[in-house]
Amino acid sequence: MSTAELRRLSYVSLFWLAARESLRVGRLWSQTVVAPVVSSLLFVIVFGLSLSGRIRQVSGFEYQVFILPGLVAMGMLTAAYSNNSSSIFQARNDRYIDDILAAPMRAWQVDIGLTIGGVLRALAIGIVTTAIGAPLLGVPIEHPVLLVFTALCAILLFASLGLIVGIYAQTWDHNAFVQNLVIQPLAFLGGVFYSVEILPSPWRELTHVNPLFYIVDAIRYGFLGTSDVAPGLAIAVTAVLAGALFWWSVWLFRSGHKLKP
Amino acid sequence: MVPALEIRELTKRYDDGTVALDALDLTIPDGAFFGLLGPNGAGKTTLINSTTGLVRVTSGSIRVFGHEAVGDHLETLAARSIVGLAPQDVNLDRFLTVYESLLYHGGYYGMPRQEAARRAEEMIDVFDLRAKRDTRTPRLSGGMKRRLLLARALLHEPRLVILDEPTAGVDYELRLELWRYIRRLHERGTTILLTTHYLEEAEALCEQIALIRGGRIAALDTPDGLRLRYGAESLGEVYVKAMGAVT
Repeated sequence: MSTAELRRLSYVSLFWLAARESLRVGRLWSQTVVAPVVSSLLFVIVFGLSLSGRIRQVSGFEYQVFILPGLVAMGMLTAAYSNNSSSIFQARNDRYIDDILAAPMRAWQVDIGLTIGGVLRALAIGIVTTAIGAPLLGVPIEHPVLLVFTALCAILLFASLGLIVGIYAQTWDHNAFVQNLVIQPLAFLGGVFYSVEILPSPWRELTHVNPLFYIVDAIRYGFLGTSDVAPGLAIAVTAVLAGALFWWSVWLFRSGHKLKP
Repeated sequence: MVPALEIRELTKRYDDGTVALDALDLTIPDGAFFGLLGPNGAGKTTLINSTTGLVRVTSGSIRVFGHEAVGDHLETLAARSIVGLAPQDVNLDRFLTVYESLLYHGGYYGMPRQEAARRAEEMIDVFDLRAKRDTRTPRLSGGMKRRLLLARALLHEPRLVILDEPTAGVDYELRLELWRYIRRLHERGTTILLTTHYLEEAEALCEQIALIRGGRIAALDTPDGLRLRYGAESLGEVYVKAMGAVT
């Protein structure tokens, strides 16, 4: 087999792995897409519409307009993480990961194939939530290209984190622990529901060590054109973290660490 | 002729210090029906998983039809693409049906969709899985799962088929049926590496047998050659003598 044929073979293999991960998302659509969208819209209704009478403006926007970008971000990131952490953990647990690891694919291709499920699920949630919420609340999209770029970086970051945690996890509880006690608190404290500018010191400064703050801020900039920190910094932090976690997940597949005895 | 499998100085030391394979050398000729026998923990599954990239090899080399099988580069893909593995433990994808398990496996091995679909249907008939075609894998019986594992291993028409205790836990009727299919496969030129605890199975099927113990090959010959060498009447007697002779 020539080098070109082997490359083609590996890309066909990658395509089928991505298709398998997409099938899984599609087969569980009520859990994977509908539930998170409903959850985000409930946040808009409960927090946005009920509190908007008391909180007039945040950073120059109606409160329900201000929180939608953060809710879109939170929905996407949580979905990317939970999809990939559960998919890889299940595959490890039942050992059907072996059929994938023995297939003619490079380590980075296995990583991408498994990542795609989380990416598609997160995109579906982000697009549907935006498609319903933005016209309903009058949320603008000021920088669509930056928004798409930042969203893709953020999704890659959390999809990779999902793979990493799913590979290291020994039980389902480990996956849930990271989601419930790390990601969600950081998202809530990262400015989804408020601008950090209104926080007193030292909470305002402490927020700047929360990576979720930069991601939420960058995505909000894509929607509203306003941000708490320089948009370049927020986007750069998101992109660098995405690159680092993607590299880590590829290393796990290349080395076989925790995947192969 | 390039051997189907050529293993040189293969060592696998697990993280807890256990040496499962100890500088093992093994050559399996193209077209052979090769049996690998040994007690639990002898290194059979580690050897097989090393060949299919499912174990991190400590040192040594493995070549499948001349292609290096250890590592993560393009050449290892050539080796992997021509190996089919039916593992000892059931490891079917719980989200897929019988048909999808075969179809996606074909895709993982680079088969075009139509060809993978055609082969999947063919294997469903060969392994008598038609009635369960659209059943998700967790709902299959043990025997059905075993058939599907074998069908999946053979779907992409590998040149080297590795069967790790394929008849463990299956009823006698299915065992004979699997034997018949494996024999037909071998007659068509496929190289087969079989591990089994059933000595009569190895005797009935294999042209060459290697006895493995402590991560090393203790003896390797035809069944007749082994009997002659150990002055034994049966393969069982050979097994007892060979396993006792190696420390």
